[in-house]
Amino acid sequence: MTTTLIVNNKKYELNLKGHETLLEVLRDHLGFTGTKSACQEAECGACTVLVDGKSVLSCITLAATLDSQNITTIEGLSQGDNLHPLQEAFLEKGAVQCGFCTPGMILAAQSLLNKNLAPTEEEIKKALDGNLCRCAGYVEIVEAVKSAGQKLKNG
Amino acid sequence: MLKSSKRLNQQDKNLKMDNKDFLNPVGKNIPRIDGKGLVTGQTKYTFDMNLPGILVGKMLRSPHPHAKILKIDTSKAEQLPGVKAIITAEDTSKIKFGSNEYFFPHTVDQEALESQKVRYIGDEIGAVAAIDEKTADEAIKLIDVQYEILPAVFDAEEAMKPGAPQVHNHVRNNIGVMLPVNFGNAERGLQESDYVREDVFYCQSAAHACMETHTCVGQWETFSNKITLWISHQAPFKVREALAKCLKMNLNDIRVIKLASGGGFGGKLEMLPMDFSACLLSKKAGGVPVKICYNREEEFSFSRRKHSMIYKLKSGIKKDGTIVAITGEVIADGGAYCSYGPTVLAAATMRIFMVYKIPNLKITAYRIYTNNPVSGAIRGFGGVQSGFSIESHMDLLAQGIGMDPVEFRLKNITEPNMVTTNKMIITSNGLRECIEKATAASGWKQKHGKQQNICRGIGIGIAADVMGSKMYKSHESGGAIIKVEEDCSVYLFTGAADTGQGANTALSQIAAQELGISFKRIKCTAADTEITPFDTGSFASRVTFISGNSALLAARDAKQQILNVVAQEYQCQSEDLDIKAEQVIKKASNSVIISFEKAVELCYSFNYGTQVIGRGSFNPKTTPIDFRTGEGNVSGSYGFEAQIAEVEVNKETGEVKILKIWDAHDVGKAINPQSVKGQIEGSLIMGIGYSLYENLQFKNGRVVNPNFGHYKVPRSVGIPPMESILIETNDPNGPFGAKGMGEAALLPTAAAIANAIEDAVGIRLKELPFTPDKIIKALKGMTK
Repeated sequence: MTTTLIVNNKKYELNLKGHETLLEVLRDHLGFTGTKSACQEAECGACTVLVDGKSVLSCITLAATLDSQNITTIEGLSQGDNLHPLQEAFLEKGAVQCGFCTPGMILAAQSLLNKNLAPTEEEIKKALDGNLCRCAGYVEIVEAVKSAGQKLKNG
Repeated sequence: MLKSSKRLNQQDKNLKMDNKDFLNPVGKNIPRIDGKGLVTGQTKYTFDMNLPGILVGKMLRSPHPHAKILKIDTSKAEQLPGVKAIITAEDTSKIKFGSNEYFFPHTVDQEALESQKVRYIGDEIGAVAAIDEKTADEAIKLIDVQYEILPAVFDAEEAMKPGAPQVHNHVRNNIGVMLPVNFGNAERGLQESDYVREDVFYCQSAAHACMETHTCVGQWETFSNKITLWISHQAPFKVREALAKCLKMNLNDIRVIKLASGGGFGGKLEMLPMDFSACLLSKKAGGVPVKICYNREEEFSFSRRKHSMIYKLKSGIKKDGTIVAITGEVIADGGAYCSYGPTVLAAATMRIFMVYKIPNLKITAYRIYTNNPVSGAIRGFGGVQSGFSIESHMDLLAQGIGMDPVEFRLKNITEPNMVTTNKMIITSNGLRECIEKATAASGWKQKHGKQQNICRGIGIGIAADVMGSKMYKSHESGGAIIKVEEDCSVYLFTGAADTGQGANTALSQIAAQELGISFKRIKCTAADTEITPFDTGSFASRVTFISGNSALLAARDAKQQILNVVAQEYQCQSEDLDIKAEQVIKKASNSVIISFEKAVELCYSFNYGTQVIGRGSFNPKTTPIDFRTGEGNVSGSYGFEAQIAEVEVNKETGEVKILKIWDAHDVGKAINPQSVKGQIEGSLIMGIGYSLYENLQFKNGRVVNPNFGHYKVPRSVGIPPMESILIETNDPNGPFGAKGMGEAALLPTAAAIANAIEDAVGIRLKELPFTPDKIIKALKGMTK
């Protein structure tokens, strides 16, 4: 079965059996190892990617169902040498510790900012509730998302 | 001469940092040195490792909590297409390993693959390498193991009774470790006290739950006799040591490389059978690399866990609040093997001397073997359990004589420049200031005992922590090398293992500050046993203090080499020179002689040709602990903190809402205040999780909640507001006065919350975690 995946604006023609998860395809077939996984059962959020701008858990999403949809991984956020405002904000606010949850966290935040550039603290916390950070940098993460939203809003 | 100044200015254009901050980086919020790789997904973790021909390794585990191994038949599995190697104890030296070999040789009790008995559900007895996970899983199922099932024991107190099943044949009553701490005359002290009370506290087991599970890739090039092990870890040099021992190889035959590591929290501090197996499987497969990556269930069930503890205390005080004597008994469920047991007990008992002046103390701690999964190190070591127990007990003692808990603590705490009863040498000590600042910030006086009408309360807990712990080896040194290249770019090689705390950044800040150069010049290469100097690892809050001092010494050495050349060229004394903010200056007049760049150019010039390679090795001055009494000075410095929690209890639902937590922390000097705050908050939130819901549960030795659905960890919703107050006491032995502080913040959290709950609704919780059912039960008990 041939499936066309559009990952970070690039087309990939893949021969899939049908049972492959998006996580598996991104990491093992296409080499987008920025997408992490910490549970493989939809409980940690580390595998979050964007599909048409909305966050999905790639560990429970079948790749074959996403034919011709736009998938964004963490590798697709920065533009050339320039970090995305969320990436910048995560660094500036000290929202990165071990970094393993960071790609999923940033993409879940992007999904929120796609709908709302000025989320309240509560809205941010709620949007990121499915993304675990065991280093527990939640305070800084929320600050970073807020600050990135402002930056994006002000263009 | 290569010119670098242009590149230097353009670097980090994304980050709004002032260049002058990079020139004097200590004390500044310098963004993570490895940050861009982390936020863009470019950084490779062991989890991401892939090599040509890489095989998938899986562990063969015991399904029984206690059984004799009669026979292992691997023949069917060997026939399965795609299986490349199978190992059992027959392939090993059967040499045992342990984590406290130096001081506690009798606790070295685990074989890399068990050969005689299995002692917990999950005990490793073999491993398979295959072309993919499915084949490896199938091969594991095809291995036929015959067991003789033995009676098992799952409760520490039961295991101590005569006639209980013996987990290790040579250990009577399953007492794996007994640690007596004994000073003064505690019995007499109790008799001479005006008020004496007894309390028993119960602390549950918990999991590290690192986001990156235990993962390693092993490759054994047999003809060159060289092993490379890539690993997600806190202590690669410890892994190397254990591998060398079990494989009977030299240290330099084994290269352990720590890649970016997705958390550790004490769970990645020792070699596990999986690490050994990845290497040995690779050898058997002809040198092909083998990757073993735990899934979440394996991580929860078979890695290491927190010791559950029963903490019994009986103490006496004078009417004026002076502590006279503390006595107690600690019983810890150690599970099947000893792991870091002895040091966990030491931390659970001796730590009290850093906090309080106690003339008479007698606490005996027992670590008991059971057929539960293995207890080991976890952030705070035993300090979280003892912190809850002791700090709850202190509140109850104060209450007994009608004294304010803050006043009671201020009366008994340790002071700067003192020697404790057990001969710990305390230099800087900001504990008093921590308590004063935290109480002032929280409005303690206006709130304590005054909000019961709205079910709100406020509680305090205080704690102290070590900056390293010489309980593992004859030394606990850290080493560093600074290499200044011809283009003025600089390498820092450190043995320290950054598992996310920001060690590489902090150590680079220290090195840049001491060398007098911009932080931007530095690249940090860390924790590779073949190319970086030795370092014992990231534990005991030791990295900033010990590895930081080694980075400082290496930078000082490199600087001296540069200054020697400048002094020779300019006909002056190198002692009169220094490098500050990229300029070589005369100390007396602050006048600039030449720039750093020119000075380096001079070093590598035709006339001098001197390579600049600085070295630093730091081993804190301590005295060995006498483990028969608990006497000794375990650390080169001590850190302190006071924490205050304000809570609201819902009497209908039993829910505890934390309104705010204040944490005042003696950090010596904050090398990177933002990172320090991140460590305090992260640690504190882990403490909140442990206080309110985290609970690794077992049934007949099996973990019953091995996933994030049933083992709850803190999430973004429900994190209370926190205020970190940094107290800088400029430790005389710390690099630029700094202390470590990765662990202390979760030590008093449970007690602060328990004390606040009592202040709010009058119930005293002595069993963790404080789940709604316990609150409701206690409230009902009160009305009866």
